[in-house]
Amino acid sequence: MRVEIDRRPIWVILAGKALRPVFFLLLALGFILFLQLPVPEGLGTGGMRAIAVFLLCLVLWVSNAVPVAITGLFAIVLVPLLGVLPRGATYSLFGNEAVFFILGAFILSGAVMQSGLSNRVALRLMEKHGGSPKRLIISIFLLAAALSFVMSEHAVAAMLFPIVLEISKSLKLRPGESNYGKLLFFALAWGSVIGGVGTFLGGARVPLAMGILKETTGSTIGFLDYTVAVAPLVVVLLIVGYIVLTRFFPVDIDGVENAHKVIVRRARALGKVRPREYAVGLILGITILLWITIGKTVGLAAIAMLSVMALFVLKLVKWREIEEYVNWGIILMYGGAIILGTALDRSGAAKWMVDAIMTQWAQTPITVIALFSLLAILLTESMSNAAVIAVLLPVSIGMAGRTNMSPEVLTYVVAIPAGLAFMLPMSTPANAIAVSSDYISVRDMAKGGVIMFLTSWVTFNLMAHFYWPLIGLR
Amino acid sequence: MIRKNYFKNPGALKIDLMLRGAAIEDPVAKARACGATGIDILLPKKILVNIPCEDWFTVRSPYVIKKSAGKKGYILTNGSDSVPVSILDRPEFYSRKTATGVPFGDIAVTHGSYTVITPDKRCGFFKSSAQCRYCAGNFSTDAAENGGRVYTVEEVLETVKAVLKEKASGIIYLSIGFSDGDDGGIKFLEPYVKAIKSHFNCLVAVEALPPASNEWIDRAYAFGVDSILYNLDIFDKELFSVICPGRAGLIGRQRTLDALKYAAGIFANGTVASHLIVGLEPPGSTIMGIDFLTDSGVVPILPIFRPSKDRPLDVTDLDAEVIIPVYRHLYKTLKKKGINFNWVRDISMVTTPVEGRYLLNDEKSSSPFLDNFYESRLGMKTAWGLSAIRRRLRVKKIKKEDPPEGSP
Repeated sequence: MRVEIDRRPIWVILAGKALRPVFFLLLALGFILFLQLPVPEGLGTGGMRAIAVFLLCLVLWVSNAVPVAITGLFAIVLVPLLGVLPRGATYSLFGNEAVFFILGAFILSGAVMQSGLSNRVALRLMEKHGGSPKRLIISIFLLAAALSFVMSEHAVAAMLFPIVLEISKSLKLRPGESNYGKLLFFALAWGSVIGGVGTFLGGARVPLAMGILKETTGSTIGFLDYTVAVAPLVVVLLIVGYIVLTRFFPVDIDGVENAHKVIVRRARALGKVRPREYAVGLILGITILLWITIGKTVGLAAIAMLSVMALFVLKLVKWREIEEYVNWGIILMYGGAIILGTALDRSGAAKWMVDAIMTQWAQTPITVIALFSLLAILLTESMSNAAVIAVLLPVSIGMAGRTNMSPEVLTYVVAIPAGLAFMLPMSTPANAIAVSSDYISVRDMAKGGVIMFLTSWVTFNLMAHFYWPLIGLR
Repeated sequence: MIRKNYFKNPGALKIDLMLRGAAIEDPVAKARACGATGIDILLPKKILVNIPCEDWFTVRSPYVIKKSAGKKGYILTNGSDSVPVSILDRPEFYSRKTATGVPFGDIAVTHGSYTVITPDKRCGFFKSSAQCRYCAGNFSTDAAENGGRVYTVEEVLETVKAVLKEKASGIIYLSIGFSDGDDGGIKFLEPYVKAIKSHFNCLVAVEALPPASNEWIDRAYAFGVDSILYNLDIFDKELFSVICPGRAGLIGRQRTLDALKYAAGIFANGTVASHLIVGLEPPGSTIMGIDFLTDSGVVPILPIFRPSKDRPLDVTDLDAEVIIPVYRHLYKTLKKKGINFNWVRDISMVTTPVEGRYLLNDEKSSSPFLDNFYESRLGMKTAWGLSAIRRRLRVKKIKKEDPPEGSP
């Protein structure tokens, strides 16, 4: 047990402790006062209340005053309590397909990690392609991206972190000083982030966006459709990311023999591929294939759940093992976000907000895409990226009628940029994990992150303007 | 030598009585109330004092406690002057026993506002004959005397329950002698303090030895100790090493002073204290000790050395006139340096800093309302509540991790 005694003057401690209750008191007062305001023209009472809940959740998500999951609970409880949606309808939204899809994705990802398959793939690839300093960086960068196509980017970063840390130590890189040390951890973090936007599986935000889209418009987006739409951005960011990193932090070591020895030692220690790994890999492969081929017809969640059931029927995983990998907080947050999005839509609040606020700045498809993508990238630097979707997506989908843009495009406009967090450790766990190594400072991350931020925004807009029409997205 | 008459000043009278003792005329009262540690009586102004009353000690004392003629109660007289006094009965719980058959009186001794419990009465210094030469108080000079018995947490809890139920006192004072290890005894006392804190709303003071690392002080505060005492006893460096060879050699005077200073930065104002025994060193040295300790925010507590037939150490007779200025200095210094001494009161074994005001005729500076408050149950509950809130605010985080070597 370790104890720390706060020796500051007691009034300073008290003032610090008082901030939180005062914050919540002011928030509650603000919420109540907002509800007392006269309802603007064109907005019903339900819409006004939905906006009040939306603003409350916005403040909580931005401030991180409570865990994102608990903010989700605020939405789940307040929406029916204020009569925005009927109680039964509200709670039934929690059974949204997106919630079950992400639950399935968590379990699949957990099974891949638990079986040791992901670790083996990572080590084998680095063993084969990591023979020189630059090749090692490229293999970590691409490996993190590739794994994030099929697993949560957070899980990929967490899984690769101990390996990269051991590599850094074997090369005797000095934390905070070594450029190569910085490169290794940037490759880990940014590779995960870029790969994470590549498919539905890289993070929980895309399934959430699909859930909100389906609840509000009834339409949906296929697994392959999404990947095809986002592919150029992923390729450009991987190339630019590598150039930015090697320019900002030139390689300052001659060889990676020691690191390679570590990788070889670790790879050898794994032994031969076990049947469990083959089986889990096979199920994952079949699942992805089914998502691509019949995902739209059968539903992504149904396929995910069937795969999960197969994992348990074949005794490839145990529930106790899998529980560690299921982020129930995110699932709760999802329920809340979907309910909030639906409440804004059905109460007419989303449409009203679009009319009243966004119309002045975003009147053409180009400006709509530019504005929403910019907002999403900016917000995701300081907010959970799923929270960004919960906040922006109902509004962006509301623009569909006014701008003659398809709701699917307006979903992409928020869902993809919401995953592009490069600048700060609080933006995404992958960045936080990299900074926790002490090889990268927040300043380093912000420095390179600004370039990536601008690159990703410009590339996204160019892609939306020139590439999407070619694949039928308008 | 003509001795001064202290009957008009209860503060000075307390000191003189502690030095000289008082004979008890009434054999019934003597049998009932006079124990090996003396007799507790209440002087005017509600001043509590423990007076040596055994015959060998009081043979040269002019003071006699006798029944008040024609009235109920007792008087203290020197033949010419007298004041009414009350003899405090020994607490009832002394005569009762724990479920395991140990008399509560063996486990705990009440001295006014606090009750001393020493769960393990052995002191490791005795093993190597390095004990403090004046020591015999709470600790067995012979480890075998207690049969090696360490009172269990349950026995101590039963005792505390009895103490609090009888309202014998509101502060539980746990003490420990020297043991191997660098924690100063805190590790041993931790389960006792935690158990008392989780069962009762009372203040817990701990008298331990200075630990090697300050982390133990943090830990003691975090797990519930409200007040801590690392007794220096003697400020003079050379006398300290002669009279307390064990403490000087194995802990060190400087470490004691450092630990006190650090603790004063952690615990509430006025709750870190250290004994300086009056009579073991020249008064000037004690005064220097007072200045040094108060500079660090520590409350010096000045017990008077009480000769004992069992102790190897003897000193020349002390005179009240010589030591009263020391107590005056203590009172003035604490007031000047803004150290709270209000919670160190109503202790029969020592003249508390609060009582110093009588020695300076500074009674007007105190408020009877506040005095009553501090002495009341409400005051004690308030102190407990404030102490608990302060701890909640200050103890920042408790992590479960592998401790570094040599730390808690």
